[in-house]
Amino acid sequence: MINVLSYLCIGVGLIFWFWGTSFLLGQRSVLFKLHNLSVSDTLGSISIIFGLLLQRPREVPLLILAILSLALWNTMLGYVLAYCSSSSASSSITPSNTHYGRHDDR
Amino acid sequence: MNLILIGMILALLIPLYEVWKDDDIWQTMLAFSSVSTKTAVMILFISVLRDDWMIGVVGVIILSVGNAGFMLLAHILKRMGDT
Amino acid sequence: MIDSYVYVITALLPLVSCMLIFQVNPYHALVIRGILGAVTALTYTVLGAADVALTEALVGTLLAVVLYTVAVRSSMVLRLGVLKSAIAGGEAGDPQPVSFKQLTTDLQTVFSNHHMRVELVPYPNREELHQALVDKEIHATCHSSETCTDHQPYDITIRLPRLYDILRAELASSTAHLTYMSSSDSVSAHSSIHPSIHSSVHSSESEEAHP
Repeated sequence: MINVLSYLCIGVGLIFWFWGTSFLLGQRSVLFKLHNLSVSDTLGSISIIFGLLLQRPREVPLLILAILSLALWNTMLGYVLAYCSSSSASSSITPSNTHYGRHDDR
Repeated sequence: MNLILIGMILALLIPLYEVWKDDDIWQTMLAFSSVSTKTAVMILFISVLRDDWMIGVVGVIILSVGNAGFMLLAHILKRMGDT
Repeated sequence: MIDSYVYVITALLPLVSCMLIFQVNPYHALVIRGILGAVTALTYTVLGAADVALTEALVGTLLAVVLYTVAVRSSMVLRLGVLKSAIAGGEAGDPQPVSFKQLTTDLQTVFSNHHMRVELVPYPNREELHQALVDKEIHATCHSSETCTDHQPYDITIRLPRLYDILRAELASSTAHLTYMSSSDSVSAHSSIHPSIHSSVHSSESEEAHP
């Protein structure tokens, strides 16, 4: 019973991973991709780790620590990345600024 | 369990392909964050698969410290874009 | 008996390192170095070396990437010495500095193709500008020329032969008169004198700005 539940959790996490990462291949804006990626990665990883926790109750403190650091760090990372990418994108509109990442690919 | 791990590796290949396609520095950073989270969770999964406590500790440390370096890199890249 | 997934994960390592090697943009290559660190940590873990994986994760994704970012940022730059009046006049808005702004934009476009930045270093007067070029504080100077011709209102003096080659080949809008100055403080005239004559004089310092 617990085994089935754990496989279910891991499967849901894998589906979340595939769903969120598939948006990376599209041509949408960076912020859209960032939102989908951070939400799906965090939720999918938490779901996978919860499935592992059901499988091995002996490693509970380690896995709970993993879930906590994942939830905290990934949300903070999403905010930091959004702040950095959006501020540099808005300043790239003014032509006098140097930008390495914007026009060397086009 | 092996099938699940193969599925995880397939999910890991998507951001790698995105990096190889190479549009924009921030897309590469997104792919980097995705890869680092995925590899850390895979390390945890392998630790449970092999019932090895030591690998689990390494996975948790990578999960919590690798992201800090990533934030530093993002800030340096942003400073570089501004000046 | 080794499981099959070990082979697949180990095959990721040469894949990512080939991506790193064939990347031409240095900043993208740095981010891929971070990805390589993560994948390497995963491979070491699968092969059973947890301590090596921890070291690789800490050094490879944190220390090496940040140090190399600082190194690339401070080396891939053209320091262009300009007069303070040229920058200040750009904000006042008279017609002459508009072409100066156009010139700096052109320079940035040219050098961003070589993944370099252009950094403007202001100096109060023309003597200090020239002295800074001789002292190798800056790579090139840009000031309005004495012989006031209409179609080339600016003089750019460069002391690195490689940068001179790049600019002569790629600076499309020739609003500036390019001059190459060798390190022995003799100003060679114009692009009619080929810079390869001088490149032997200071081949050592040309590497510092080589893209």
